[in-house]
Amino acid sequence: MKPGRRVQKKEKTKQAILKAALDLFATKGFYATTTKAISKKAHIAEGTLFNYFETKEDLALYFFEEELSGVMEWYRANRRLKKADIAERLFAIIQHSLERLEPYEEFIGAVYSRALSPTSKLGPFNLESQDRHLRYLRFIREILLEAEADEEIPPVGDFGAYAFGLFQLAILTHWLRDQSRGKEQTLALLDRCLKLATHFLRNNGGWNW
Amino acid sequence: MKTPQKSGALQRGFQIGKLGFGLVGSYLGYQAQNLLLSESGKAQRRAKFQQKASQRVSGELGALKGAIMKVGQLLSMQSRVFPEETLREFAALQMQAPGMHPTMARAQFKASMGKFPEDVFRQFDPEPFAAASLGQVHRAMTRKGEKVAVKIQYPAIRSAIENDFKVVRSATFAGQLTGYLPTAAIDEVQRGIMEETDYVNEAKNLTYFREKFADIEWVTVPRVYEEFSSDRTLTMSFIEGRTLSRFLEAKPSQQLRDLMGARLVQLFEIQCHLKALHADPHPGNYLFQPDGSIGIIDFGCVKRFALDWSELRRFYDEWGWRESEAAARRFLKIVCGPKAPYEKARKILPDLEEWLELWRSDGSGDFFFGQKMEPARKKKLEAAKARAAQKIFRNKLIEPEFIFLSRADQGICFLLEQLGAVVNLSEIARRVEAGPQTSKAIESGA
Repeated sequence: MKPGRRVQKKEKTKQAILKAALDLFATKGFYATTTKAISKKAHIAEGTLFNYFETKEDLALYFFEEELSGVMEWYRANRRLKKADIAERLFAIIQHSLERLEPYEEFIGAVYSRALSPTSKLGPFNLESQDRHLRYLRFIREILLEAEADEEIPPVGDFGAYAFGLFQLAILTHWLRDQSRGKEQTLALLDRCLKLATHFLRNNGGWNW
Repeated sequence: MKTPQKSGALQRGFQIGKLGFGLVGSYLGYQAQNLLLSESGKAQRRAKFQQKASQRVSGELGALKGAIMKVGQLLSMQSRVFPEETLREFAALQMQAPGMHPTMARAQFKASMGKFPEDVFRQFDPEPFAAASLGQVHRAMTRKGEKVAVKIQYPAIRSAIENDFKVVRSATFAGQLTGYLPTAAIDEVQRGIMEETDYVNEAKNLTYFREKFADIEWVTVPRVYEEFSSDRTLTMSFIEGRTLSRFLEAKPSQQLRDLMGARLVQLFEIQCHLKALHADPHPGNYLFQPDGSIGIIDFGCVKRFALDWSELRRFYDEWGWRESEAAARRFLKIVCGPKAPYEKARKILPDLEEWLELWRSDGSGDFFFGQKMEPARKKKLEAAKARAAQKIFRNKLIEPEFIFLSRADQGICFLLEQLGAVVNLSEIARRVEAGPQTSKAIESGA
């Protein structure tokens, strides 16, 4: 199932646009960057740009998808993690995605406030967005299934993957606002939340004093 | 009936929340949470508790008592709020942080150093080999091929401790008001803990002692790699050696035990003269080698003091307080503090004399540690010591520096006891007092 040359070329152009856009977002900021400037930098006509991305928001969406694909690839290639416990595996996934997002923090911050509006394509409650993220949710679901099979956690169903997706968004929120050096507060929060969550799951939600 | 139990549990959960123990906001709170959420029953929990403490490598349960211990230990140096018994229990404990899995340790290294370990070192062991104050230690190798130990602190733990102190302050408001728990004492404890958790400070201590001990060929203090260190990460040269228990497993000869014991005492004496003491006499802080050399690690808690050690020694050796009333007053000021009323303080002298008399071996007049003693004499000795201690505590005749030094002294004695060494304490004290190593170290600016 090799993708055709046309598809390949299309993907290449998309990535060139994204790279140009990210460079501009980093230097000029998300709002000040015009589609004109992006197309100029990517060496394409402005009309062509709209063929690929209707709005800057679509660009951001593509960016996130690319990053999530990157995270999934990274995870699948990481052999040591496969043996780690579920709390560490989930920690690693979120931590690695934050690590990748670090250079684009400003841009993400700008997009973030838009994403929470009900009409935004980026919003976590937007059906379209969820559909696009389904690949990622399935990936998380697989990891949770493995943990279920190893009896690390009880069956959590699809709900587990959705809950994790929302949790990741919450952590992203914390990370964006985290003023501590090296954003270490986020690391601590992530660690503790995951430890608590796996504990609760193992004890069927009870405290088990 | 399961329901009431559950609601009770839930309520306790809320109570933890009410105390202001947020998820990342509180160190103690987090430890309490771990303790209460522990997977198994109470008895099992307790067994785990002890096992982990002895294992040394981070246990999350151990961390709770670790933190309490630190508060207790520091309070014991500064004030008079805890009974002797409790303090002795505290002294045996260690300060531990929750363990970090490899992913976390790597991320926290980046958070504190700006780079990942693999970008800095040729090799970095993702699994820790030891627990440290509020963190853990990893083996690594520099690009130049030097073996190092990298100590990494658990993220955001210092701000969590700061928050805990806010809670402590409001919870002990009554105590502060009545003067039973002076605010200054809490300040001092907080300052101590914050200092101890600041690895920049520890690096300074390491460098200081490394320089002071440079002339003694049988002692090693790790070298700090400043380029790989920050306030939350400390990279030091790796020190070979065994912990005390591992050293003893190899059944060292009595001669070697005595040599090690004598050296530990010598190091202690030198530090007393430097007026700067490695204040955590936990056995895990010393590493022993079969050739008799000693490595000292973990310099987080170094206490500086003003007490004149030579003067105190002379008083002990010559029973100087008997010479004149002025001398007795002077001696009691050292032991009980400048504000202690002479008439009250004087009452400890007979017990002290009895204790010293019983301890002194027959003949030479020197103090020995570890010699065989008939049970009756040992019992008397313990009793005299207990009486003196009781008088000191009951009459609040406490000079923090003296108490601190006595405790450190006890810590060394505890080590000697475990080592099974026989040591002529007086002889070593005399040698250090006169020795070129000490005088050199002291002259170069203590």
